[in-house]
This record gives sequence, C-alpha cells and structure tokens, in this order.
Amino acid sequence: MIERCHRSAALLAAAALSSLACRFEPKVPELRYSLNRPAVDKNPDLAGDLGAQAQLEGALELMFGTPAGPRYLAAAEWLEGGFDPNYWGEDHVKADEAGWSALVASNRAAYRQQLAAIRAGEFDALDRPRFADDLWARWQALRADIPAGGPDAEYLTTADGQKVTWREEALFRFENYYPTLANSASFYSNQCYHCHGAEGGGNGSTSSFLEPRPRDYRKGVFKFTALKGKARPRHEDLFRVLTEGIYTTAMPSFRRFTDAQLHGLVDYVRLLAIRGETEGLLVSFYAPEEGLNFDNVRENYDLVVERWREASEFFITYAGEVPEPTSERIAHGRALFTTAGEKGGANCVSCHGPDGRGGGVSAWEPGKEGKEYAKDEWGNQIQPRDLTRGVFRFGRRPIDLFRRIYAGINGTPMPEHFGMTISENGAQRTLNESDLWDLVFFVRTLSTHSAVASHDGGHEREAK
Amino acid sequence: MAGLKHFLLRVLTTLLLLAVPVLGVWTFVKAEEWGLWFPPIVSSYGAGIDNLFYVILWMVTVTFVGTELLLVWFVFRYSKRDPTRAVYTHGNHTLELVWTAIPALLMIFVAFSQMEAWSDVKLNFPEEGPYTVEKPLMEVYASQFDWRVRYPDAQGNFQGADVIEVPYDITVPADTKVVFRLKSRDVLHSFFVPVFRLKQDAVPGMEIPVWFEATQPGDYDLICAELCGWGHYKMAGRIHVLPKDEFDTWLAAKRAALYATE
Ligand code: HEC
Ligand code: HEC
Ligand SMILES: [Cu+2]
Repeated sequence: MIERCHRSAALLAAAALSSLACRFEPKVPELRYSLNRPAVDKNPDLAGDLGAQAQLEGALELMFGTPAGPRYLAAAEWLEGGFDPNYWGEDHVKADEAGWSALVASNRAAYRQQLAAIRAGEFDALDRPRFADDLWARWQALRADIPAGGPDAEYLTTADGQKVTWREEALFRFENYYPTLANSASFYSNQCYHCHGAEGGGNGSTSSFLEPRPRDYRKGVFKFTALKGKARPRHEDLFRVLTEGIYTTAMPSFRRFTDAQLHGLVDYVRLLAIRGETEGLLVSFYAPEEGLNFDNVRENYDLVVERWREASEFFITYAGEVPEPTSERIAHGRALFTTAGEKGGANCVSCHGPDGRGGGVSAWEPGKEGKEYAKDEWGNQIQPRDLTRGVFRFGRRPIDLFRRIYAGINGTPMPEHFGMTISENGAQRTLNESDLWDLVFFVRTLSTHSAVASHDGGHEREAK
Repeated sequence: MAGLKHFLLRVLTTLLLLAVPVLGVWTFVKAEEWGLWFPPIVSSYGAGIDNLFYVILWMVTVTFVGTELLLVWFVFRYSKRDPTRAVYTHGNHTLELVWTAIPALLMIFVAFSQMEAWSDVKLNFPEEGPYTVEKPLMEVYASQFDWRVRYPDAQGNFQGADVIEVPYDITVPADTKVVFRLKSRDVLHSFFVPVFRLKQDAVPGMEIPVWFEATQPGDYDLICAELCGWGHYKMAGRIHVLPKDEFDTWLAAKRAALYATE
C-alpha cells in the first residue's frame, strides 16, 4: 500500500516537472512543393517517366525555390528594366502613395509597443512581433551592431546630407516593414495551408469539407477581379479578397493582420499561381523527343510572368458618375435580364431564372437538368447566384456589379456581357455601358424583399 | 524530544495551511499591479457589471478567509500526538438550520442585487435618441468565422441595395446609446466586448437586440465567446469608437463611397 503511494507520488512529481520543462510551441509542418499529380497523370509520356518528373521538379525549384526559401529566378532583362519579381509587391505598393502610407500606419499601430520601447531606449523590453520573423531578425542584427556611441550615433548620411541615427533607422525598419517572400510563405503555411494546400492547389486538409472549394491557384484563374478579358488578377484584386474575405464562403477576411502581412501574402499567392501555371504548361506540353530544355522552360516562364505583369492593362474603367437609377432604367434592365438570348435579350434569365433565384434552364449540367449544376473551371458544380439574397462576393457597390456583369466571373459559367449582341425594337446592336448600368440597377432591386415579391408575383419567401 | 518534534511539525503544518488563505488573498490584492485584473471599463453600464462581481467577490472572500482560519485553528488545536479515538456526535439541528438559512439568504440577496444591472443591459433599451430597437444603428452578423456589420441605407432599410457591409471592423459613435441587431448565419456564436462588459449569444434564426453606450473613443477587441467550430479561436473583430461627429462624417463618407467609380 505504502509503496504504491510512493510510486504514484513519484509519477505525479515527474509529470509536474516535465510539464514545467516543455514549453508549448506549436510546430509549423515542414512543407515541400509536390507536382500536380492529376495533371502529370494526364500526360502519358511524363506519367511513366520518373526521371523526367525529377527533372521537372528540379526546374521548378530553380525558378521558384522551396516553401522554406521561395525565390523567383529573375531574368537579366527584367532587372535591367527595373523589375525584380522578388520585390514585385513591395515595389508596387511603394509606387502607390496612399497604399504605402496605409501600410506604414498599420505597421505603426501593430508595432507601437516596439516603437515606444526603441524611442525610450529600452531595447530589452521589445516584444517579439508575431508572424514577422524577418523583421525580428533584422532588428536583432541592427541592435547587435549599435556602436559605442549608442543609439544616437550616426547610422548613415543620406544623399542630401541628412544624418540618420541608429535609433531612427530602427524606427524606420519597424514602420516600413514589408515581409520577405520566405516570411510570407511561413505565414501562409500557418493561415492558409490547411485550406489552399502547400502548392496552392486548393487541396489542403480542410478543403474536402468546403463548398465552394478553396481556390486552386495553379490555373492562374481567379474569380474576383476588376478586370476584363479573363486577365490574371492585379495585386489590388487579391489584396481586396484578403481584406474583405469572400462572404458566404469559407474564405474569411484577414483584416486582423497588418497591411504589410497581407501584401506579403498576395506576393506569395502570386508566386504559387505563377509556379502552378508554369508547371501546368510544362506538364501538358512535355514530349519525350524535346525533353525539358532550357529554352522551352524559359519561354513558358516568361509567358506566364508576362500575363501577370500586364494585368492592370485590363482594368475596367468607367469615366463619369454612376447614373441615376430611374424607373425607366430599372425597367429596361429587367427587360434585358428576363429576355432570352434568342429573343435578343441579355439572357441572364437562362441561368439566374426568371425570379433571379438561380434555377434557370442553363444552370444545369447538360442532360442532368434539375439534378446537377453545370461545372466550373475546377470541375465542381456551381449554382448561378440566388440574386434575391443580396450576397455579392466581390463588393456590392454599383461599380463592382458593373464590372461583374461587364466581364463575367472567371472560371465560372457566368459569361462576359459587354459587347454581346442584343436586339431591341427590331434592330441589332451590342450591349453598351448604359445597358450594363440598367442591369446593375435591376439586379440591385432583386435583393430587396418588396421588389422580389412584386417581381415574381406572390412568392412569399423571405429574402435572406 | 519526541514532544518537541511533534510540536514543530504541528506549527509547520499550521503555517503551511495558513499560507493558502494568505497567498490566495495576496494574489487578488496584487492582481491589478500584475496586469491580471479587468481591462478598463468603456461602457455606461460596465461599472454596474463589475459591482456585481465585487459584491460576490467580497462575499466569498469573507467566507473563504473565515472558514480557512477556522480550519487552520482546528488543525493546530486538535492535533494529537497519541492516537485517540474519535468521538461520535449527532447532528445539531439549530446549527444545520443556520448554515442552510445563511447561504439561502445570501443567494436571495445576490438574486435581487443583480436585477437592476440585468435589466439595464438586457431589458431597458433606449426609447429615445437616434437608435432604438425598431431603428437600430446596425446589424451584426456572426458566421463561421467572421464578424460582419451591416449599416442600413439612408432610409433605414437593411435589405436594400445601398446597405453598407464591412467585415471585422465595427465602427460606432461614442457617448451615444447604440442599439444593434445580432444575427447568426450558421451556429451559436457570442458577441463579447470585454471593455464594454457586454456578452450576448448570437442564435441562428433569432434577431437579438443589443445595446451599449461607449464612453471612450478608441479601438477595442471583439471576440467570439461561444465555441463555434474549429476556427473559433480566430473569430475576432474590432470595435472602433469614434467621437459622435466623426462617426457621422464617417458614415456619410461610406455612403458616398458606395457610388464611387474608381
Ligand atoms: C477555411 C478555408 C480557407 C482559408 C483558411 C483560406 N481560404 Fe482562401 N479561399 C477559400 C475558399 C473556399 C475560396 C473560394 C471561394 C469562391 O470560390 O467563391 C478561397 C479563395 C481564395 C482566393 C481566390 C479569390 C479569387 O478571386 O478567385 C485567394 C487569392 C485566397 N483564397 C487566398 C487565401 C489566403 C492568402 C489565405 C490565407 C491568409 C486563405 N485564402 C485562407 C477558403 C479558405
Ligand atoms: C451561363 C450562366 C450565367 C449567365 C448567362 C449569367 N450568369 Fe450571373 N452568375 C452565374 C454563376 C454560375 C454565378 C455564381 C458565380 C460564383 O458563385 O462564383 C453568377 C453570379 C452572378 C452575380 C453575383 C456576383 C457576385 O459579386 O457575387 C451577379 C450579380 C450576376 N451573376 C448577374 C448576372 C447578370 C446581370 C446576367 C445577365 C447579364 C448574368 N448574371 C448572366 C451564371 C450566369
Ligand atoms: Cu464564433
């Protein structure tokens, strides 16, 4: 009896000691990029050739690095032209004065403790910031180098003769923090990996429980942009997705992080997408006769990067003010919306249905009407939006809807409408900006309960 | 010799036991200094809620210290070196009555003393002022794992095209009784703003009116206080309290920005 007591006391003591000894530190899994299996399996030449697959992996690693050290291979012409893809986002945000000052303001708020401690000279009191290991490393390196003269010694003199002290330099680094790709990659593995996967394949461990599924970036197709022509997204488009989230899907808003952290994530998403697209091209065009020669790889890489660089040329601009939503405009919008294509309308009804609830005749997979919705780019069923719910996933401003209807939604059946042929009063013409506004105003009326009721004649369903 | 050893042991045990109430009370006295106490109060009714806590804290402190001291004294007083037979005693009816009646009275006291604070927070909604239950400032939607706020259009409609929707950041005016409707899109969540001392569950299918009056402009944390799924831990938001006039300009600017075309 007594012995047993002693033994359990010893066990208890050991447990208490060991719980003191091991501090809890969540571990981020060590990630690696793998090839896009389903794509590889589609090319029989590559699927059976392990040597070629290894070569492909090597080429991709050369161009894009690893999750621990992601890095673009920068072409000499780019660098000469002042474009370094490794500083893509940073240079882009710096060029936009308002964007950069928002970033600095958000750093000031996030690092106020550190800034105050540096100002007070209490260097030991600095808290380590979360998810900014590179910032911390830079600060520690700077701190280790502070000379005998202390923090108020001169750090450098700028070109115009201004003296900068060590302290000012330290403050500057916190306020102007912009994460490196490597830091954003580890942040991504902490926040996004479980949904979007290591390569951004939309196949993280949570993904199979979600509808719609997390985006597979590797096609380079992104739904929510302000662009026409199925262009790649701009930095701003992706940034907006991160701050706003995509309402009514699992994609949350990440506003709780700083602007710099979100810009860094955009950079990393872009790297993953470019990597995935390049991989896709190399995989689908791989032929054993040619192998993976350098020119071929370079050509595809350039092609993909070029598509991303030119994205902002596709921005849908609208000069002038949003017109008045008069009742004539709304009526005209309704006519366009509800008139089928054969009758010269804009044919929204075919997918969104006469009541806007998303059950039109073309909403379905051919041959499976009423059972299976048509598929999107990623092979998942997608329902045309129930417009009576007033849920707009990329903004509800008139201009957002204008752009949505103008360009459609990439990767989904929702088509581009600007310039489509319609016929009115017996004459054929193309859908113009004014028509788009009319459609916008009509769609907006759908999301008010009263408008729904009058529109579909007596359905009593609440607009949610 | 053996007598001395027993005496020392007796004193040591007593002192160890005495350390419990002493340390216990001391941590409470020091808690504020160590930053372990409540966050500041930024709502009109926050002090009332804290008072409830303090009333109960004093009640349990007195009981705790009293019973502990009694225990310590008994340990010292009745420690016997030689094994003695325990004495059986039958219950004492009066004593039992007393120790049932006193806690019962205390419970009744607690029940009555919280009524005012409860009705202040949960029942007495502002009847005049810019925002009322019929005309709330905003709707707050909880969903896995996001907070979203919706401000009505200029006519006060929450369903129209011109409503303003913002994730994460909830902006409200200071020194104004703010009423809002709390809704959930999926499961139970709870709207918890520690500095307001305000906590209200969001229940799917219900529109729950909530009110508060923020007394200090500033940015405050909003957290979800009801386990709502795997992402519960990150279901955060921020309340921006702006001075009244700044809030009005802010809302007007938001409304105007709806019609921007950039
Ligand atoms: C809980 C799962 C989840 C997490 C975590 C998550 N996402 Fe998503 N994400 C989604 C879903 C679902 C979609 C697709 C929504 C749709 O198709 O409408 C998506 C879409 C996207 C898109 C595509 C938007 C477009 O225009 O097509 C981007 C970019 C994105 N997420 C980035 C991120 C980043 C960066 C993170 C981490 C900071 C992240 N996501 C975390 C679920 C998630
Ligand atoms: C071929 C089918 C199809 C046609 C035709 C179509 N849509 Fe869509 N629409 C969709 C699908 C599918 C979605 C949902 C996309 C998603 O959830 O990502 C959608 C979504 C929308 C949205 C929601 C956008 C957002 O921000 O969330 C609007 C608004 C819309 N459509 C308006 C229209 C209008 C107006 C027309 C006619 C001019 C039209 N659609 C024609 C299939 C269609
Ligand atoms: Cu929650």
